[in-house]
Amino acid sequence: MSTPILSTTAAYIGLETRRALRDPGFVISTIGVPVMMYLLFTNLGGQNDPAYKAVAMVGMAAYGAMGAALSLGTGVAEDKSTGWLRQLRITPMTPRRVVTGRALTGTVVVLPAIASILLAGALVNGVRMAPAHWAAVALALWLGSFPFTLLGLGNGYRLSAQTAGVVNVACNLGLAVVGGLWFPVSLFPGWLATLSSWTPTHRFAELGAALSEGRAPSATALAVLAAWAAVFGAYAAISYRRSARTV
Amino acid sequence: MTNEPAAVFEAVTKSYGSVRAADGLDLTVRRGETLALLGRNGAGKSTAISMLLGLDTPDSGRISLLGGTPEQAVLAGRIGAMLQEGRAVSRVTVRELVGFVARTYPAPLPVSDALALAGLTALADRRVDRLSGGQAQRVRFAVALAGDPELIVLDEPTSALDVEARAEFWEAMHGYARRGNTVLFSTHYLEEADTAADRIVVLDAGRIVADGTSEELKRAAGGAVVSFDLAGAPSAYLSDLPGVTEVEIRGDRARLRTDDSDGTVRALAARDAIRGLEVAPLALNDVFLSLTRGRAATPETEPVR
Repeated sequence: MSTPILSTTAAYIGLETRRALRDPGFVISTIGVPVMMYLLFTNLGGQNDPAYKAVAMVGMAAYGAMGAALSLGTGVAEDKSTGWLRQLRITPMTPRRVVTGRALTGTVVVLPAIASILLAGALVNGVRMAPAHWAAVALALWLGSFPFTLLGLGNGYRLSAQTAGVVNVACNLGLAVVGGLWFPVSLFPGWLATLSSWTPTHRFAELGAALSEGRAPSATALAVLAAWAAVFGAYAAISYRRSARTV
Repeated sequence: MTNEPAAVFEAVTKSYGSVRAADGLDLTVRRGETLALLGRNGAGKSTAISMLLGLDTPDSGRISLLGGTPEQAVLAGRIGAMLQEGRAVSRVTVRELVGFVARTYPAPLPVSDALALAGLTALADRRVDRLSGGQAQRVRFAVALAGDPELIVLDEPTSALDVEARAEFWEAMHGYARRGNTVLFSTHYLEEADTAADRIVVLDAGRIVADGTSEELKRAAGGAVVSFDLAGAPSAYLSDLPGVTEVEIRGDRARLRTDDSDGTVRALAARDAIRGLEVAPLALNDVFLSLTRGRAATPETEPVR
């Protein structure tokens, strides 16, 4: 009599993933723009150092993945305003499964963003790594994007559709720039470099960069990222509970 | 089990600030009936429906749905609902949406049946956010019935529809009700309650002010409407005629609501005031207005008693 929970959740993730990927704005901002920026930054002004091409690849893939993860939250805020979340509440899916499915959708929609930058690195910029390193980098980017999914969900459940969109874009740009995803932190003044070392984005990219060079990521990087994951997770949980009363 | 009521409200109250949206609701919805919750905007229809579906909790009182709590009935997949404020879900096709919702239920209708019942077969591969208002409304109906629920709840299902789309919608709804399902819908269209429902519950200011079939409501309100042309004659005496409870003058035509149409007509005939005389049973509209009089007083109506 009971519907298999896994297949329902899988169907829900499938539905939400399709909805996200059909949004031209999503595709342009999470695949088109990062790929274009990556290719420009690494091929203009004599920036032909292979090491920089690899580091920038990881940074830009992190940027694209973060954008995809955050925009999921913008989608939640929209679904709140159109009544889709409320409609889901009168299906046999529990609200908890809906929010879980939404978070898992985040782990799917970051994949095209990550894959497209890694492909651009490998095929256009000639980045070379051992296959195991490619796999480790891809995995790190995939897992490391999850805290940003939580941040996006927190914004999406807490804020109105319009505000959530603006706040997510601001988070995306601010964290990308300060975290050093666009420009290397070595160009930053001292105070900004210090600030940068506390950002989740900087540690996210550091994770991938270390793995791309075959090094183990530092314990500090993992600790900072884990702390942010806990903060964003709590934020998402609180926002979700608060909105559950009004959705 | 099949004799247990579909839904029961017991002394349910709900306030939003100083507004009493539900003021002691007692209502039993029987299995297999099509029930209309009729009331003007703000009468408490949506509040009653939200609480019935477990989207909102009563301040006091109790609601049971198919023998359990609203949450239990919803999670068991026994309820399908169409909410009022729903806008189209973006970037999905009709078939994807209805198919997904069907999958969340334990024993859904085949998707093609749900689409056919809602008249959507030809639109199955169109995107929901690119449909007309009437088509989108039918999608929401398909979503409500996709799980083959025992009870379907529709909050103002036709509010955005033109006359033709409304007729199509009710045809689809009848198809579903004929399968033995219980249907509860809210509306502020009298004629819709009159034609589509077996039973009408009139809500006003959070209270049930009438409950019965359309015929019962008219009978309970009593009386008839006698109308005739004044032909310039004075109208002051009309309220003193036998049986008359209400006088309404529109232009040159007098419209008398009466408890005793024979007596009223005889009295009018004695005064030879029978030009264009018409005696009609009370329309549901009159019943509704008198039931919800507190807030219904229109400038043309002057209550007599």
